[in-house]
Amino acid sequence: MASDVSAKRTFAETGPSSPVVESVRVDQVTPRAKTGMTVRLLLAILVAFIMLIPVTWMAMTAFKSRPDATASPPKVFFAPSLDGFIGLFTNRTQLSAGALATEQERTDLNFWEKQALARGMRILGPSKFVNQLQNSSIIALTSTFLAVTLGLLAAYAFSRYDIPGKGDWLFFILSTRMLPPVVVTIPIFLMYRVLGLYDTHIGMILLYTVFNLSFSVWLLKGFIDEIPIEYEEAALVDGYSRLQAFRKIVLPQCVTGIAATAVFCLIFAWNEYAFALMLTSEKARTAPPAIPSNLGVGGIEWHVIAAGSLLFLIPVVIVTFALRKHLLRGVTFGAIRQ
Amino acid sequence: MDQSLQIAAAPPTRRRQISDSTIQRLFIMPTLLLLILWNVFPLFYSLFLSFTRYSHSGKLPPVWIGTANYDALLSDPKVWLNFAITGRYALLAVLFQAIVGFGLALLLRGKFKGNGLLTTLILIPMMLSPVIVGMFWRLIFNPLTGIFNYLIGFWNPATAPIWLKDNALVSVVIVDVWMWSPFVMLLCLSGLKAIPDYLYEAAAIDRASPWRQFWRITLPSVAPLLLLAVLFRTIEALKAFDQVMGLTGGGPGNATETVSVSLYRMVFQGQARTGTASALAYIVLVVTIGISNVYIWYLNRMKEA
Amino acid sequence: MAEIELRQVEKKFGEAWAVRPMDLTIQSGEFVALLGPSGCGKTTTLRMISGLEAVTGGRIYIDGKDVTWLTASQRDIAFVFQFFALYPQMTVRQNIAFPLESQGMKRAEMDHRIDEVVKMLEIGHLLKRKPAALSGGDKQRVALARSLVRKPACFLMDEPLGALDAEFREAMRAEIKRLHLAQHATSVYVTHDQVEAMAMGDRIVVMSNAVVQQVGMPSQVYHNPANLFVANFIGSPGMNLVAGKYADGVVHLDGGSAYPVPDGWKPVLSTALRSDDVIVGFRPEAAQVGEAGALSGVVYTSDLHGAYTMLHASLEGEAGRNVEDKIVHIRAPREVAHTMGARICFDLAPDMVRFFDPKTEAALAREVRS
Repeated sequence: MASDVSAKRTFAETGPSSPVVESVRVDQVTPRAKTGMTVRLLLAILVAFIMLIPVTWMAMTAFKSRPDATASPPKVFFAPSLDGFIGLFTNRTQLSAGALATEQERTDLNFWEKQALARGMRILGPSKFVNQLQNSSIIALTSTFLAVTLGLLAAYAFSRYDIPGKGDWLFFILSTRMLPPVVVTIPIFLMYRVLGLYDTHIGMILLYTVFNLSFSVWLLKGFIDEIPIEYEEAALVDGYSRLQAFRKIVLPQCVTGIAATAVFCLIFAWNEYAFALMLTSEKARTAPPAIPSNLGVGGIEWHVIAAGSLLFLIPVVIVTFALRKHLLRGVTFGAIRQ
Repeated sequence: MDQSLQIAAAPPTRRRQISDSTIQRLFIMPTLLLLILWNVFPLFYSLFLSFTRYSHSGKLPPVWIGTANYDALLSDPKVWLNFAITGRYALLAVLFQAIVGFGLALLLRGKFKGNGLLTTLILIPMMLSPVIVGMFWRLIFNPLTGIFNYLIGFWNPATAPIWLKDNALVSVVIVDVWMWSPFVMLLCLSGLKAIPDYLYEAAAIDRASPWRQFWRITLPSVAPLLLLAVLFRTIEALKAFDQVMGLTGGGPGNATETVSVSLYRMVFQGQARTGTASALAYIVLVVTIGISNVYIWYLNRMKEA
Repeated sequence: MAEIELRQVEKKFGEAWAVRPMDLTIQSGEFVALLGPSGCGKTTTLRMISGLEAVTGGRIYIDGKDVTWLTASQRDIAFVFQFFALYPQMTVRQNIAFPLESQGMKRAEMDHRIDEVVKMLEIGHLLKRKPAALSGGDKQRVALARSLVRKPACFLMDEPLGALDAEFREAMRAEIKRLHLAQHATSVYVTHDQVEAMAMGDRIVVMSNAVVQQVGMPSQVYHNPANLFVANFIGSPGMNLVAGKYADGVVHLDGGSAYPVPDGWKPVLSTALRSDDVIVGFRPEAAQVGEAGALSGVVYTSDLHGAYTMLHASLEGEAGRNVEDKIVHIRAPREVAHTMGARICFDLAPDMVRFFDPKTEAALAREVRS
């Protein structure tokens, strides 16, 4: 393109429009590079937008009234309502015509009860959702912590040491994830019944830890393998012990790996459905099995499910966002000098 | 030693150091112990059941029938159909996840404003519970109430494709790619960021074109992590259950009945053929082990090189 | 082989100066060392010449052409990195071939050039290996080979020996200089090691804190440092710098002793000093230890260097008061007593003494131009 060539030619003569006061290469401040960056940014925004349409749709559904949620054609503009959330946090019952009339005469109803009344329902009491959220939190956080910690230690040992049968052990660790969950649930169910782990926090924590371990060992080993071994060897020569070398050299350099592993493990444990469904009932039930089973009168209450899903999504998003600097940090080995 | 490292800390205190072999054992024991305890029983019990006729909801104990289950399964055309569906699904899903995920990583690796935020946003699909994803996409694909057709312009119920009926497998793949490309993206991003800048500086001075730099430097450096991501996604795809169930329930008919769905139906619906299901699960296990070995062999070859 | 010229080249990071505006001309075929402590701006300057760092202001010319806004690829340069920057997944031979392949060179000529360079650096036995399997010294040789194979106009080297063991450095120093001469190249070499810069450079550019302190041949920089920084930085140990007050041809050093100024310097000191504060500088070899001498000191410690002894003495004042924190380094013949506490007297060779203005930190010129 003629204009492109002449633009570059004048750039070679005059340079960029404003002085460069950061550390960049010349080929990153050419007009072409600048356009490239803009294109990239726009493309990234477009992709993010498209990817998030279903999630946005779900978020919108959480604030819709029941009929709006399943309107045809789908409603993009709607009057927001909190019905979904009310349905999520409370147990309600549909009132008959007579009971409805009596109810409407009451004057002591709070905001939520009034909302429910507008739909012809009466609130019986809080649902188990909050309790389920608590269970999810405890189980997911603990199992993630265990999986990452144990996995890190094992990954380090597998990476740095020549352990007999290393390949076989690693494959065994991987294979624990290969069986379809449906089939594994029955033996585990039997095992838990015998061990008294059915419907307990510990039972779920250990189960999720086991599942996450296979992933965390492999992923962390992948990261540790990339750290040149010379740094630790230099430290050992300087008189540091293995443990000190591990703590001072390896750990800081695999922060990215640890963050990524933690996020993945957390997401898995947080969202796990099949095992939670089969191995918990009252005490240790987590949210994922509960949310989709919101069946009200007349079928699936999509707005309630959406509300539950939205709320359930938020903690994970927050954690990931908080960790993003560590997740996306580059590991620069060359920069380790005075 | 090539580089003398300056560790900005106090000089090390000379304590009696723990021996290497103790560290090995200490670091690995807890993991192996947990894994063995939790896997040995299920693995062996399932193996045992696979050689029996058993229904966990019935009153009768397991009855040994040798390899009858396996024979029946391997000669059942429906089972082969399930495997074909699972294979096709896994292949398509993992392939597109890898392409989209890697592409996204390349897009987001640069330094520009809002990068962190955008990357986190793109990660969101992965953060949802698969069964919920399945359910909501069912709503989205719905020709009457869903926005999929609405958005891509087919808003005429008479002529629009009914995704979950006519293109069920494609629908499942679309959902899977949507959900798990971020996973591949994140792993590839970590790998991309680990490539030191000075390699690209040297390549620029060597007058290598951007394409050459990508092909000779970027790709070989990221390949191990990309392959790892693909390995994990393949294993998951072969046993995919949650989102398939949520989205289509295996339907319409058998169109999206992956092996996992078939297992579910075997165990929890109809006759509760637990023994047969165990046998089928073991066949899946063997297949998965075989495929994984191929990946791992390739991974090791890459690392040695 | 090309001339490099920097005109008012400067670099800022935000508000902070990394390199203050500098002018520098590097002749074709010259070997120039950019010398200074960490953070002085020498690497940034090198990177600006190469295009890896965009200038904030000023112009850069290579072989007469204005290359300020040309990318690194478009400049005819080779760059040798401190951490080698070898492509990890390629063999040594592929690494060396990379720049030639990128240019689309024909196979025959490529092979010829590679063989040439491999022979020059004696790395023939390493061709099939990957960088991870090489020692530091070998890695740097391969990096040098890769830079030589293109026959560029200029060689830019960023502390190439910094990551190597001490024993390799001296041998590699000679090798790099030899290659430079054989190629008739123009080389710019960044280092923080003044011994290296002195040994290798045709000229040295001493930098500190983003400012060029002095440009000159090694002998100039050594014997006639432009300011206190250069005087102290160059030489091991650096120049002895003692403060004092000048009056009537005598400098009364802190601590009390009186140093009679050589005749040639008297007019300079009378006119060029703003106040009576002055700093006397002399290198260890300028001291002549003898029976009697204008200055005296008490031996603090001594190092036996075989051919000579390096005494570290504290200057003694008139009343024998020790100024313990004023340690000077004196090179003495090995016969001189070097027991701790022994008293020594010494004179300063008149042509080796230097004077500095404490306020400006600049050296006083010997001839005052009228």
